Amino acid sequence: MNKVRICCIIDDDPIFIYGTKRIMKEVSFSDTIFEYYNGQEALEGLSEISESGEPMPEVIFLDLNMPIMNGWEFLEEFDKLPIHSEKKIIIYIVSSSVDPRDLERVKDFRQVDNYILKPITPNDLAAVLVATKM
Amino acid sequence: METISLNLLIKHAPSAIAIVDTKLNYINYSDQWLNNFTSNKIDIGGQHLLDASIELPKPLIETLVSCFQGNEDINEGEKFILPSGNVKWLKWKISPLKKKDGTVSRLLVYLEDITKDRREIELLQKAESVARVGGWEVDLTKNTIYWTKTTRQIHEVDESFLPDLEQGINFYKKGIHREKITELVSAAIEQGKPWDTELIIVTAKGNEVWVRAKGETEMVNGKCVRIFGTFQDINERKQSDLKYNKVSERLKIATNTATIGIWEYDIKNNALVWDNSMYKLYGIDKSEFSGVFDAWESTVHPEDKELGKSAIEMAISGVKDFNTEFRIILPNGKIKNIKAIAKTERDSEGKATKMIGANWDISELRKAELKLEKYEESFLDTFENSATGMALVALDGSWIKVNNSLCTSLGYTEKEFLRLTFQDITHPKDLNTDLELLNDVINNKRESYQLEKRYFHKKGHIVYVILTVTVVRKINGEISHFVSQVLDITKRIEAENKMQSLVEVTKSQNASLMNFAHIVSHNLRSHSTNLNMLTSFLAQEEDEKERDNLNGMMTNAAESLSETIAHLNEVVQVKTGTLENLKRVSVLNTLIRIQKSIGGLFEKQDATLDIEVSKLHFVHAVPAYLDSIFLNILTNALKYRSPDRTPAIKIKSIINEDKVLISFKDNGQGIDLDRHGDKIFGMYKTFHKHKDSKGIGLFITKNQIEAMNGSIGIESKVNEGTTIHIELKQA
Repeated sequence: MNKVRICCIIDDDPIFIYGTKRIMKEVSFSDTIFEYYNGQEALEGLSEISESGEPMPEVIFLDLNMPIMNGWEFLEEFDKLPIHSEKKIIIYIVSSSVDPRDLERVKDFRQVDNYILKPITPNDLAAVLVATKM
Repeated sequence: METISLNLLIKHAPSAIAIVDTKLNYINYSDQWLNNFTSNKIDIGGQHLLDASIELPKPLIETLVSCFQGNEDINEGEKFILPSGNVKWLKWKISPLKKKDGTVSRLLVYLEDITKDRREIELLQKAESVARVGGWEVDLTKNTIYWTKTTRQIHEVDESFLPDLEQGINFYKKGIHREKITELVSAAIEQGKPWDTELIIVTAKGNEVWVRAKGETEMVNGKCVRIFGTFQDINERKQSDLKYNKVSERLKIATNTATIGIWEYDIKNNALVWDNSMYKLYGIDKSEFSGVFDAWESTVHPEDKELGKSAIEMAISGVKDFNTEFRIILPNGKIKNIKAIAKTERDSEGKATKMIGANWDISELRKAELKLEKYEESFLDTFENSATGMALVALDGSWIKVNNSLCTSLGYTEKEFLRLTFQDITHPKDLNTDLELLNDVINNKRESYQLEKRYFHKKGHIVYVILTVTVVRKINGEISHFVSQVLDITKRIEAENKMQSLVEVTKSQNASLMNFAHIVSHNLRSHSTNLNMLTSFLAQEEDEKERDNLNGMMTNAAESLSETIAHLNEVVQVKTGTLENLKRVSVLNTLIRIQKSIGGLFEKQDATLDIEVSKLHFVHAVPAYLDSIFLNILTNALKYRSPDRTPAIKIKSIINEDKVLISFKDNGQGIDLDRHGDKIFGMYKTFHKHKDSKGIGLFITKNQIEAMNGSIGIESKVNEGTTIHIELKQA
């Protein structure tokens, strides 16, 4: 199975990041993983990478409930960034929320590809891989 | 001898004769003269004519004098008005007696007073012309006609007109009139039959005139030699007769058609006469009753009999005109209401002689009136006793009549109402709508309207009503007034408002519960998934070092879970049973206690706290909540202090209506409200990179304040500071 070169996890929960990274390792999902603990950090980090011309992540896993800047705010701000990337960045929302209002709201963001309910399983990652190669 | 005999002859002459000399002294006179023309009737011999006679007209004296010239003077009769004003008709003959030398020495005067005869003729003529009665005469032997002046005037011919018999007849109007007169005249001539008839003639000027022609004959040897008679203009009488006939004919038709019965009561002879309409009206047969009074008495309703009789008695005695109503029972049992009026005729002494009256059927009118009365009664009944406010309102909006309910609803007495217009007490925001609708009614665009509107109660508060306005018109279609029905729905509206606010509260509580449920599920899920995940890793992990790491993470996750549960527990407690525990709490005392308990923190950060709160400000609160709220706000202010400034916090309180407003102003980092405004009081929302940020403090604070029926608000500018406003019910 082809790997994703770079992926990015934005979540304030260190246990979640640890777990996800561990599963990614098991299924050899990605060579490089960027981690950010809230939207603000991610926005700043990613825009720096983009500006310096280094490769951007192909997939972003984004949590919704985070301090400082939550997932929604990140999506809005990220959309405004001038991203230099040959490929479209695939964004997955990863949340514990089963609130239908959140699920509904996801549809308002065209750059979001799908919604994954925590925790992320190896099957989820396999599906993401299929989607990235299409 | 000759003189004596002459004297004697004169004295005894059958006429009034006198002889006077040139000086007009009496020489001789007849007894008749003495009788007729002197006042004393004693010897007047040798006395002057003027001295010894009654008043004589001047022209006679002048004529006498002139006759001494030798001329005779004859006067066939002339009317004189004497200086005294008396009228005298005199007739005379004056003959001069000449001497041998031809000179006149004496006058022989024959004088006759014809005043009496002439006056009669004059009267006759006058009468003839006044009564427009002319005379005429036909002499059949000579075939001449004589018409008097009046006859000629009636025919409108001039004085010289001389008709013959045929011409006379031809004046009668062609047709039946002329035929009739021809027939009558022929019969008179042939059989001596007199006539008296009324016919039309056509005058010389072409006018048609009704005349009464009377004729009689004079027969000589069985042959008619003369017919004569009178001829009277009766046009006016005839015309009015004809008119009267027409009118009475019309009246008859009218009374017949309208069944107006006419009756006549001859009081002197106690006789009552009915016309046919009376019988028709009373529905009875003329032949069945011996007398009219029996008929009347048998049909009048027993209860009204006395009334009818007394009305007649009063009319006769002159107390009251006859104008009454009574009921009659028809043979078929039906009851009719009869209106009866009459005129009483009286003789010169004022005694009633006759009553003429009319009866007619007013049953329908009575029925309609009764119905109307009932309607009015039931309307008034409804009006007075209605639970709905009702009013009659004039075109200008003033109240004409109001019922009790309306008085109760709006707090004014009826008297006060009548001095007001509806405009005076209508809520200004509803006035235009009401007036527009009213104008539609006035302009015939609608007959009624309904609207929900507000009035002001006398005490000033608002009364909500449903107003229904209906127009009442006069017979000619003009608007008489309006009937307003005012349904007081204040209680309903108040209940609605209460319900609305209850619904609002329930809604917001529901939303908050829903929110809470999602928060709970989210938070609990995050921890449980983490625990699950860590457990599964632990099961596979063989590396000791990594297992320790996993164990550590599991402990953290478990701690987080228990912390979350504790927070949730706190929130649930706030949401239940707060209102029962509200107490009167002093704002200042609470603040002072908090200040003491966290005094160390303030000292450590060199922070200042400035409290400007009145001792008199008390709020309805749960004391523990108020402690927690103040503590949370103050610690937040210290936690998010600016790195560039020493923290300075200012607390103020003011009274606003029935609420106490408490504000906490700090000079800290501030928060971008444009970005975070909607989530500031949300659960697990944090906005600062601070290790102690849990995102739970303000969420619980807000819940506590709202549970005590208060509210919380925030003002903030990044790098300047934040002000938190709390509003709680004053106690």
